Amino acid sequence: MIKLVNITKIYHPDIKALNGVNLHIKPGEFVSLVGRSGTGKTTIVKTLIGEERVSTGKVIIGGWDITDIRQSEVPVLRRQIGVIFQDFKLLPKKTLFENVAFALQVCGQPSKKISNIVPQVMKIVGLEGKMHRYPQEVSGGEQQRTVIARALVHRPKILLADEPTGNLDSINANEIIDLLLKINKFGTTVLLVTHNREVVNALKRRVITVDNGLVVSDQAVGKYLL
Amino acid sequence: MFFLSLLRVIKFSFQDIGRNIWLSIVTITILVLALFSVNVLIVVDTISKAAVDSIKEKIDVNLYLKNSADETDIMSLKAKIGNLENAKEVRYISKSEALEVFQEKHRNNPEIIDALRELGKNPLTPSLIVKPKDVDRYDSLINELNRIDSDIIELKNFDNHKAVLMKINDISRKINKVGLTVSLVFIFTTILVVYNAIRVAIYTHKKEIIIMKLVGASNWFIRSPFIFSGIIYAFAGILLIVAVFFPLLNLLQPYLETFFIDYRINIVSFFQDNFLRIFLVEFLAASLINILASLIAVGKYSRV
Repeated sequence: MIKLVNITKIYHPDIKALNGVNLHIKPGEFVSLVGRSGTGKTTIVKTLIGEERVSTGKVIIGGWDITDIRQSEVPVLRRQIGVIFQDFKLLPKKTLFENVAFALQVCGQPSKKISNIVPQVMKIVGLEGKMHRYPQEVSGGEQQRTVIARALVHRPKILLADEPTGNLDSINANEIIDLLLKINKFGTTVLLVTHNREVVNALKRRVITVDNGLVVSDQAVGKYLL
Repeated sequence: MFFLSLLRVIKFSFQDIGRNIWLSIVTITILVLALFSVNVLIVVDTISKAAVDSIKEKIDVNLYLKNSADETDIMSLKAKIGNLENAKEVRYISKSEALEVFQEKHRNNPEIIDALRELGKNPLTPSLIVKPKDVDRYDSLINELNRIDSDIIELKNFDNHKAVLMKINDISRKINKVGLTVSLVFIFTTILVVYNAIRVAIYTHKKEIIIMKLVGASNWFIRSPFIFSGIIYAFAGILLIVAVFFPLLNLLQPYLETFFIDYRINIVSFFQDNFLRIFLVEFLAASLINILASLIAVGKYSRV
């Protein structure tokens, strides 16, 4: 599902964010990508969504080689991947419903379909009663649930979660992880980028550890090593 | 699919304007102020041009003819002058016509009217009034007239307009200078307004544009609502400026009539006659400025 072949990312001769990363994630896997801040985790996520181009190597997603993806193809790629961010990235002037619906509207989905699907997804993430509130009117956990709903609404095969619990308390963080596990159960491949030791250790799933732009450990049922 | 997206774009534009109401008000206010300065400039330019043209229109050369001049000779002289390169129009004022004009002009002065009655005959001479084609070539017309040798000409009244002409040319030059300065100030202000509009657009939409890109919106889908909003802002600005400016012009008109007495200056009719030309150009220019500002802002963040 996700294949990184010996990728490097050099911002400046002295600044190498990735130093030859090799990674293969199979469909339906739940993988935690861990590592200290500044080790290249977010750069990997950015290459997967076409925000950054690798300096060398190959990036393949679902059989699609996106190494040299054209700018005009990036929206198409992003409609196939659900992305969850630490800082939520919700449109502040749109309600929670509109934020989720927006992901379908940009793909040109008909309004009828949108008004059917969005409430269903909002129900899955437990926000059916707060759909018409604005992001600033709900808690951080609820905002993150909205982001998950937005990421799920076009039924992506891959879900990238970049520090999804970073801005949440432990109760909300656990709820979000439970939600990610539930999504994974339905068959979606989940790549969780985190440095939350408790979360990673409790998951008992595959753990890939990155350090200094390199994969230093890849355990089938792993623990947070660093 | 295209129409669905277009409808959504229009919906998002109106939604964006409504939900960012303060920013919308500020944008429209900036536009109205810029348009106001443009229209004030148009008013000043129109008044000054109309005043100068009216004065120029009044400039002519009088050729006083002998009382004994024969009507046929006068007509032949009139035709000859009419063919001169620098003559625009030649008007013949007969003795009786001159008397009528004189009486009309002095009807409120009983002493002059009484004196005329006591005289018992028409003391005025017939005349030819020559209007120059171009006031700036007044001297050339005089040279041409000087070359005409005719027995029926009693007096050539050439010089009394020279001072006025010099003054007009001086006023014209000053108006042009002031106009140029005002235009430069205006251009500078417009650049500042555009620059700030771009900054505001970047500041306000930065986060929004990045998020749209991250959820897979195409550049067209991101840009279009901003383009449409820019057009709506421009339209609202034009409606407001029309609503504000016409009452002001109506207020100004009586003062203009009093100040420029005897001159044909009607600023309200000027704006009414040129309504489409003025406001359509302003609408297009304002839309273009808004669209450019938004596109620069979107372009800056659409590479995410």
